[in-house]
Amino acid sequence: MSSPVGRNVTDAAVPPRPAVGRPATQPRRRARGFWLTRGLRRLAMLWLFVVIGVVWWFWSARTTSPFFPPLKDILHQLYDQWIVGDAKKNLASSLQNFAFGYAIASVGGVAVGAALWLARSAQEAVSPYLYFLYVLPAPVLIPAAMTIFGIGDAMKVAIIAFAAIWPTLLNTLDGMRGVDPLKLDTAHALGLSGFRVVRSVVLPAALPQIVAGLRNSLQVAIILMVVSELVASTSGIGFFILNAQQSFAFVDMWTGIIVLAVVGIVLNLLFVVIENRVLFWHYGARATEEKG
Amino acid sequence: MRVLASRLVVLAAALGLWQVLSATGVLRSDEFPSMTSTMHALWDQLTTAQLWSAVRDTVASWAIGLLIGGGSAIIVGSLIGLNRFAYQSVIPVIEFFKAMPAVAILPIVVGTLGATLQGKYVLVAFGVFWPLVIQVIYGVRSIDPTVRDTATVLQVRGPRRFFVVTLPSAAPFIATGLRVSAAVGLILSIVFELIGGGSGVGVNILNSENSGPPAYPLMYAYIFVAGVLGIVLAGIFALGERWVLHWHESRRNVRGAGR
Repeated sequence: MSSPVGRNVTDAAVPPRPAVGRPATQPRRRARGFWLTRGLRRLAMLWLFVVIGVVWWFWSARTTSPFFPPLKDILHQLYDQWIVGDAKKNLASSLQNFAFGYAIASVGGVAVGAALWLARSAQEAVSPYLYFLYVLPAPVLIPAAMTIFGIGDAMKVAIIAFAAIWPTLLNTLDGMRGVDPLKLDTAHALGLSGFRVVRSVVLPAALPQIVAGLRNSLQVAIILMVVSELVASTSGIGFFILNAQQSFAFVDMWTGIIVLAVVGIVLNLLFVVIENRVLFWHYGARATEEKG
Repeated sequence: MRVLASRLVVLAAALGLWQVLSATGVLRSDEFPSMTSTMHALWDQLTTAQLWSAVRDTVASWAIGLLIGGGSAIIVGSLIGLNRFAYQSVIPVIEFFKAMPAVAILPIVVGTLGATLQGKYVLVAFGVFWPLVIQVIYGVRSIDPTVRDTATVLQVRGPRRFFVVTLPSAAPFIATGLRVSAAVGLILSIVFELIGGGSGVGVNILNSENSGPPAYPLMYAYIFVAGVLGIVLAGIFALGERWVLHWHESRRNVRGAGR
């Protein structure tokens, strides 16, 4: 979760991306000791988490506010509820809806974005409406989705998919529009088939931006996963948290919040790991360019 | 002109299709209102105080939350960005909070503060802080070494250095962060209204849904209003960014390349 220090990872237009793993500029072979000290240094940078944990522990042990129960009780309950207990169902339910919704949004976003790229005349005609749907704060659609799908998993999957599709769709379209025309002309001159052009020219050129879109969609999907469970639901982590709060079970509420935080972080980390695998050639090339 | 015409054709076709689907019963009226009834509801609402006070409440809580969260993010981020050790220590913690869905703290906020305006400010400020503070830190770190060294040689120090050297260098990063934060803030204030209650566009949407099918046109009218709100607020930030950063290299290049 740390970033290469002092190296500007992005240009101003793109939010910085935390790089995980080996920066592409590192020479291949290093002494083993190097990696050891490097790992230790990274570990040392987590000291603030320890401090926060310790402060929380002692502060919450003393406070009498019912909203902030002792961390010790929370951790106990976390184990009882989520590791051995029944609350696991809620985690599974949330993750399942998230997975379906995000998968639909990803595949749909790339497919529709690519189709729009091909249908050049339609692009400008529909672009303001796509933008409207993109900036529409998606949670407002939950009540409407409830009237159509009722209360249940179908509504949640639909709302996650509908909200998360726009960043991927717009970024796919944008990335494909940015493909160097010279490369496309070269591919045509070489007589490549349509499929080959897409696979060898369009996709590699557009992939970094498609991935950026997928990353934005991930954030949206996680938010909608929780919010859809908070508004009207009988299962999921969000439901668990709200239900605990409403029945004044504040220790339970805190365990739910911790689980939710962990889910968000794990999903983000997974994404970064996959991204670095898929796009290693891109970051490598860019690092070389930056070096000059 | 031709583009505008094609856009209007698309709009007319979509609205027409909606009306036809409702009239023929493909869209059941107890699930999805017809286009004309929705437009009618929207038109009626435009002249009522109900709509405008809801818009005012949502926008006001968004703006104040953004001001609190954004202001503290800029101050804290600038301080942290100045020191390498602080920066390295704090980044993992910030990444942690950024990756955690901010709505997770909503039950705590509603529990401690109730469905009040203060609760809304706290939620918006919390959600806005994390994506912005990380941009501020990266922005402050990205300062051109020549500029930094020149400032040091010229003995530009203290607040003057912050406003004349540090802040302008970080400005493009801060602008990107603010744009993201503004969108997050609007979502959070609406989520707070949907779940916590109080007053605002989100509350009106939920009330219309609870009133049953006759109020569904009203619900869609308010959903449309929320979308317009999103466009207007995003547009203000995009324009403001262009206006404030017109001098910046990246902007000049963009304009040059555009010609």
